[in-house]
Amino acid sequence: MARTRHGAGPEHDGVPDGEPGDVPGGPDTELIPAPAPLSDDELPAAVSAPTVAVLDDEHAIVRGLWRGIDVFRCLALAYAVWSVWERHEQIAHLVGAVAILGVLAGWTLAVTLRPVRTVRAYTIELAIGCSAILATRLVDDPDVITAGAKTIPSIWPTAAVIGFAVLRGWRGGLAAASLVAACSFVEVVEPTPNTISNSIFGLLLGGCIGYCVDLARSSHAALAEAMRLDAARAERDRLARTVHDGVLQTLAFINRRASEIGGEAARLGAMAGEQERILRTLVSQTDLAEVGRAVSGDADLRGLLRHVEGDGVQLVSPADAVLLPRRVADEVVAAVEAALDNVRKHAGDDARAWVLLDDDGDEIAVTIRDSGRGLPEGRLEEAVGQGRLGVSASILGRLADLGGTATITSGPAGGTTVELRIPNRRTTRLTNRHHGRRTPATTERGPQVGTQGRGAP
Amino acid sequence: MTEQEDAMPQQGSSTPPEHIRVVVADDHPMWRDAVARDLADAGFEVLATADDGRSAVARTRATVPDVLVLDLNLPGLSGAQVCAALTAAQVPTRILILSASGDHQDVLDAVKAGALGYLVKSAGREEFLAAVRATAAGEPVFTAGLAGLVLGEFRRVKAAGGGTPERPIPELTDRETEILKYVATGMGYKEIASTLFLSHRTVQNHVQNIFGKLQMHNRVELVRFAMERGLDLADPT
Repeated sequence: MARTRHGAGPEHDGVPDGEPGDVPGGPDTELIPAPAPLSDDELPAAVSAPTVAVLDDEHAIVRGLWRGIDVFRCLALAYAVWSVWERHEQIAHLVGAVAILGVLAGWTLAVTLRPVRTVRAYTIELAIGCSAILATRLVDDPDVITAGAKTIPSIWPTAAVIGFAVLRGWRGGLAAASLVAACSFVEVVEPTPNTISNSIFGLLLGGCIGYCVDLARSSHAALAEAMRLDAARAERDRLARTVHDGVLQTLAFINRRASEIGGEAARLGAMAGEQERILRTLVSQTDLAEVGRAVSGDADLRGLLRHVEGDGVQLVSPADAVLLPRRVADEVVAAVEAALDNVRKHAGDDARAWVLLDDDGDEIAVTIRDSGRGLPEGRLEEAVGQGRLGVSASILGRLADLGGTATITSGPAGGTTVELRIPNRRTTRLTNRHHGRRTPATTERGPQVGTQGRGAP
Repeated sequence: MTEQEDAMPQQGSSTPPEHIRVVVADDHPMWRDAVARDLADAGFEVLATADDGRSAVARTRATVPDVLVLDLNLPGLSGAQVCAALTAAQVPTRILILSASGDHQDVLDAVKAGALGYLVKSAGREEFLAAVRATAAGEPVFTAGLAGLVLGEFRRVKAAGGGTPERPIPELTDRETEILKYVATGMGYKEIASTLFLSHRTVQNHVQNIFGKLQMHNRVELVRFAMERGLDLADPT
């Protein structure tokens, strides 16, 4: 150990890629593996925080692995030194071997004192390890190598393999292990049983640790997402409480008082009332369950129809979600919008409308009733005959496509009722329950148009 | 649920307002005073006001008004808990829920625990006064929004197998379901009566039966209900 080494300094980038004088075997540019993941997108982090460049998103498991690698590297160095010491009589150029160990020791010391968890640092370490394996050929007799002697660095390069597994997952681990294995094969020329088993061991280690790190990262990401959603919901609940307790009450109060004062104030009050309605709808939105349903592909009709409220239209719904597959729900919403358009066009200016959602387990019924003028007897048939029936295409057609029915009736008290019935796909699960309540209209297949003038004149 | 424009389906009451005694419970001073003033102006007698759940129970028990106008979200006890406490104590006061919130489950809980009606605060003054009169007369204040919730609750219970073993909830008859759907689409009792060839009174009876099926009547049930929601009825005040 008479020579001065460099590489023991704190500047990790100052460690040379090889030791041209002592270790002449290192055409590093060819040895550095070139798998795609080895981009240098993490370099800025290393430059800006050279002391402990641990990525921000790393969690406990990954941090633990990094510390494990640091310890492993030191132990591996000790093992390599002991191996050389044990067989120093076999080694042809002991000075060369010591020089190689010196380089390994220098790097080990440097990264133990100032850990750098970047692709660049581990590329350098891998290059040093591979060079050291190849350099064994220069310090040992070929006979000794063929007889199965250990390489000078022994298991030291494995630290770089694990490092790549942690940095780049199973792909990184396998790529680094393959490179180390390739160097071992080049070094021995004729593979010994040790070479083969060590290489397989290295590949398994790199692949398995990389896979575990991948799993840890993805579960960490899922956990972080869940926590984010939870925090978002808590924040919304907090806002909703504040809005309920203060803003809604105040707006409703302004509306109430202003409408009593009348005149200009009444108009202002109406604006306050409108804002109250919008705000109440916003803060009463359902919570994470909605996110879950969005994932499962089901949509809650209550949420999808919220926008139809206002302008004299009231949405009447149960406390529980009214679930339909997203595609079906969109069609139903379109049909409801068409029916309400019809109300606006034909029912008169002061007509009001109600949209009732009713899920009886077998079918989901959406009833749109207005308080308007109603349909004159026979007008619907007349319109169909003339081929100009807006509701025909947009309501009946849509419902037929969904396997449901649409009924249009006119009540004795004026007003028109459109009833949409959509088969509930949960029906198959609930066949044991029977409804004696079915009316002939609901059991018929396909859309139907009827103007049943029901009730007393 | 928004039924700010909801016309009361029924305005029925023969009781003169001056004989109707009311307690108002609301934690917003502004609202409490406005509601109390409206009631007093219209000839009702406001016996007391309360600003949290416990005092609402205490003052209602002490004064036994005809109607308790109850905010759904009071500090201390929720609206449903106040209803449960009063029903369990067999206070004859009828309860009208008045709320800024559209929280469906809270409304249903309050109705199950004995409230006779529900109105959002954005309802107009006349609508509100009519609702208090109806409540005093023992008629459910059944807006379209509440009818939709009640219908949904019966559907849910049926799908779940008819309530719990301790408390089987009877199914609605076809006629009751029909009437409930009519109420839920904004029809008044008169319209429903003429549509179904029934008398106004018969429709009212059906509506009261619907409420009766949903509401809890025995004390054991109410106590369990209240305790599940964190209220000890042994010490309701």
